[in-house]
Amino acid sequence: MKLNLPVKSLLLALALTVSAAVCWELYLRSKGIEPDFDDSPELWANARAMAYEPADKATVFIGSSRIKYDLDIPTWESKTNTRAVQLAMVGSSPRSILADLANDPLFKGRLVVDVTEVLFFNNAPYVLASPEEGINYYKKRTPAQTASFAVDKYLEANLVLLDRDFYSVNGLLNHLYVPNRMGVYAGLDFPVGFGFTSYNRQTKMTASFLADTNRVNQVRGIWGMLAKENTAPPMGGKELDSFFAAVKQDVNKIKARGGEVVFLRTPSSGPFFMGESMGYPRAKYWDRLLTTTGCKGIYFKDYPTLANLVCPEFSHLTPDGAVVYTNGMIAALKQQTNWKL
Amino acid sequence: MVFNSYTFVVFFSLMLLLHNLPLPWKVKKINLLLASYIFYAAWNPPFILLLWLSTVVDFFVGRALYTQQNKIKRHALLVVSLVGNLGMLCFFKYGNFFLENFVSLCNVLGFDYHPAQPSIILPAGISFYTFTTLCYTIDMYKRESKPVKSLLDFSLFVTFFPHLVAGPIVRPPQLVPQFESERKATKQQLLDGLLLLTLGIFMKVTLADNMLAATADAVFGAHAPLGSLDAWAGVLAFSGQIFFDFAGYSTAAIGVAMCLGFILPQNFAYPYAAIGFSDFWRRWHITLSSWLRDYLYIPLGGNRKGQFRTYINLMITMLIGGLWHGANWTFVVWGGLHGLFLWIEKALQDSRRKATNLSPEDTVVATASVIPGVKIKENFLKALLTFFMVCITWVFFRSATFGGAWGLLNAMFAGTPGATPLLTSIAIIKVAVVITLMLVFHWTMRKTTVLKTAGKLPWWGVALAWSFMLVMIILSQESGKSFIYFQF
Repeated sequence: MKLNLPVKSLLLALALTVSAAVCWELYLRSKGIEPDFDDSPELWANARAMAYEPADKATVFIGSSRIKYDLDIPTWESKTNTRAVQLAMVGSSPRSILADLANDPLFKGRLVVDVTEVLFFNNAPYVLASPEEGINYYKKRTPAQTASFAVDKYLEANLVLLDRDFYSVNGLLNHLYVPNRMGVYAGLDFPVGFGFTSYNRQTKMTASFLADTNRVNQVRGIWGMLAKENTAPPMGGKELDSFFAAVKQDVNKIKARGGEVVFLRTPSSGPFFMGESMGYPRAKYWDRLLTTTGCKGIYFKDYPTLANLVCPEFSHLTPDGAVVYTNGMIAALKQQTNWKL
Repeated sequence: MVFNSYTFVVFFSLMLLLHNLPLPWKVKKINLLLASYIFYAAWNPPFILLLWLSTVVDFFVGRALYTQQNKIKRHALLVVSLVGNLGMLCFFKYGNFFLENFVSLCNVLGFDYHPAQPSIILPAGISFYTFTTLCYTIDMYKRESKPVKSLLDFSLFVTFFPHLVAGPIVRPPQLVPQFESERKATKQQLLDGLLLLTLGIFMKVTLADNMLAATADAVFGAHAPLGSLDAWAGVLAFSGQIFFDFAGYSTAAIGVAMCLGFILPQNFAYPYAAIGFSDFWRRWHITLSSWLRDYLYIPLGGNRKGQFRTYINLMITMLIGGLWHGANWTFVVWGGLHGLFLWIEKALQDSRRKATNLSPEDTVVATASVIPGVKIKENFLKALLTFFMVCITWVFFRSATFGGAWGLLNAMFAGTPGATPLLTSIAIIKVAVVITLMLVFHWTMRKTTVLKTAGKLPWWGVALAWSFMLVMIILSQESGKSFIYFQF
C-alpha cells in the first residue's frame, strides 16, 4: 500500500535546497570569487550570430586564447564605436572558423585573425576539435537551446556557483587531486583566476591570480610541459604549401564579397617567444602568410608601443597590458588599412 | 525541448498555471495540444508537419478501419497506414542505412556505384510516435478498441508532450479515456509528480551526464588500445549512463504528466535486478517490449506454433527490436545477442521442466517453495550474472563499428599488453561508487516503487533525499544535454 507524501516534505526540501545554494554562493563570494561565464559552445554560438553586422559596425576576431586575453573589448568599443565580436577559441586553431566564415555568404565584414604559430600552423585534431564543436552547435542550435541560453546568461552573470570548471560536482571532484596511475593524461590543470570569461567572451587574469606567483608559475609550468610533449616538427613542405593555399582560398572568398581580412601576431614573452621564433621563423611562416593571402598584418615586434609588452606567464597579457595592446592595435590598423575606426 | 533545460522550467510553469485556471475542459485540452506542438517545434519546427500528417492520416484511417465492412478495403486501409507510418520511419531513420548497404552490395557484386550522399535529418522521437500511431490503427483493424471520437483527443494522444519524443510508448486505452473528462492533479498527484520529475532529472543530469558520460565517451571513443580496467570501467559507465538517461526521461515524463493529472504507464522496473533475460525485458523499456510482444511476436505466432517457431519468432522480435534502436548492424547484433540469451534461458527452463515433469505453473510454485534465504542468495547471483551479460551486449549497442566492439571485448577479457592507462582515478571511483549503489538500489527496490518507498519513509527523510537531489542538479550544471533515446 502506498502512503501519502506530506506537503511538509516538499517545503523542507525547498528550504534546505535554497539554504544550501545561498550558503555556498555566499561562501564563494566571501573568498573574492566573482561570477563569470563558461566559455562554452553556447556562448560561442551567441557571439557567432553577431558576425553579420555590417563592416562599419563590427569587427570579428578569430584565433586562439591570446586574442581573447589581449583584446580589451571595452577599449576597442569605446575607441572605435564599433562592436568587437570575439570568436577566438582557447587552445585551438582558427582555421575551421575562417573556413566557416568564408563559406557563409552572409558574412561580408571585417575579420582579424590572431596567429599563434604553434596552433595556427597545425592540422592536429585536438586543435580543431573545439572550433568544430562550436560551429556544429551554432548550425544545429534549436529554438529551445537559444531560449535556454537567454535564461542561462542572466544566471551565469549573477551566480558564482555556476562556474562549471571549479564549482560544479565534477569541478570539485577533479580538484581533489586523487593520484592517478602512471601514464594517465589528466588534462591541463589551469589554476583558479587564470581564465575569467565575460559575456563578450573576453578572458582575463584576475588580480588575485596575478598577485600569486605560485599560480603564475603553475601556468608557466603547463606551457613548459606542453613544449616538452609536443615533439612533432612544425608543419613544412607540401603540407605547408597546401595549408597556405587553403587559407588563401578562404581569404579570397571573403574578399570577393567585399569583406576584409587582417592578420595579427599577438605578444608572447621570454622562453615562449624564443621557442616560437625558432620553431616558426618569421620569414617562412608569418611573412609568407601575408604574401600568399595579400593581407595586411600587424606583428607586435614591429610597433614600439607593443614590442615590449610583457606576458606574466609568457603567453597572454594582463588586463592592463590588454588595454595598451588594444590601443596600439587600433592605431596600427588605422595606419595599415583604410578602416575607419 | 528537453526536460533538463531552463526553457522547460519556464514552459512547464506556464503549463501548470494554464492547466489550473478555471477554463472549460476543451480549452484546456487545446492548450495542452498547442503546448505539445510548441514543445516539439522548439527542437526543429518543420518536422511538426510530419507529426500532423501522421496524426491526421491515422485518425481517419483508424476510424475507417473500424467501420469498414469490406475485407479488401480494410486490408487496403491497413496497408495505407502501415506504408505511411513505416515508410516515413524508413526514409528518415533507415534511408542512409539502406543506401549504404545497397552500395556495399553493389560493390561486392562488382558494380562501381557511388550515389550522392543524402543529407537526411532524423526527426526527434519519430520511432516513438510512429509506434504510438501504429498500435492505434492495428487495434482499429482488429477492432480491439473503439475509435477515438474527436480529432482533438486523438491529436493529444499522439502529441501529449510528456511522452512524445522518448516514450513511454502509450496505447490508446491507456491515455485516450483520460482526455474524455476533466483531469486536474490532486495535491497528492502534484507532490508525487514533482518528486518523480526531480528524480528523473537527477538521474539524467547528475548520474548519467555528470558522473558517467565522460568515462563512457572516453572509453568507447578511445583510439589507442585499452587495458582491462579502463575497458570494464567504460562499459560499466555506459551501462549506468544508458539506464539513468532513459529511465530518467521516463521517470520525468511520468512525473510531468502526473503534475497535470494524467497517468502514464511505467517504463522501467529496476532492470539491473532482473533474474534472467525474460525478466530483464519485463523491467527494461517495458512499453516497447510489450509493444513488440503484442504487435510483432504474437502476430508472428508467438509460442502457439511449436517450439521451433517460438525460437524463430523470439529471435525475429529481438532483431527488429535491435534495429528499432538505430540504423546500424551493431544494433541488430545487440538485439541478436539478447535473442540468443533468451533462447538459452528458455532452453534451460524447458529442459528443467521436462526433467522434473512439471508444467510452467508448477515450476513457479516449486520455485516459490524453496528455502527463502538460499533462494535470495541464488537469485542475487543470477541477477549479477544477468547484469554482467547485459553489459556485454551494451558493447555492441554503444560501439559505432564492429571493429570497435571487438577491440573493447578483447580489452575487457584479455587486456592489451602495453596499453596506456586512460581513465583518471577519480573517473574510476565515480563509476565504482555509482554502479555499486545502482545495483544495490535495484536489488532492494525490485519489488516496490519509488512512490511506495517514499510514502513509507519519515517525512523529513523524504525531504532530505529530495533536497539532496535538487542540490546535486544545481551543482551538476549539465543542463540542456539531449537524451540518448532521442536519436532512436
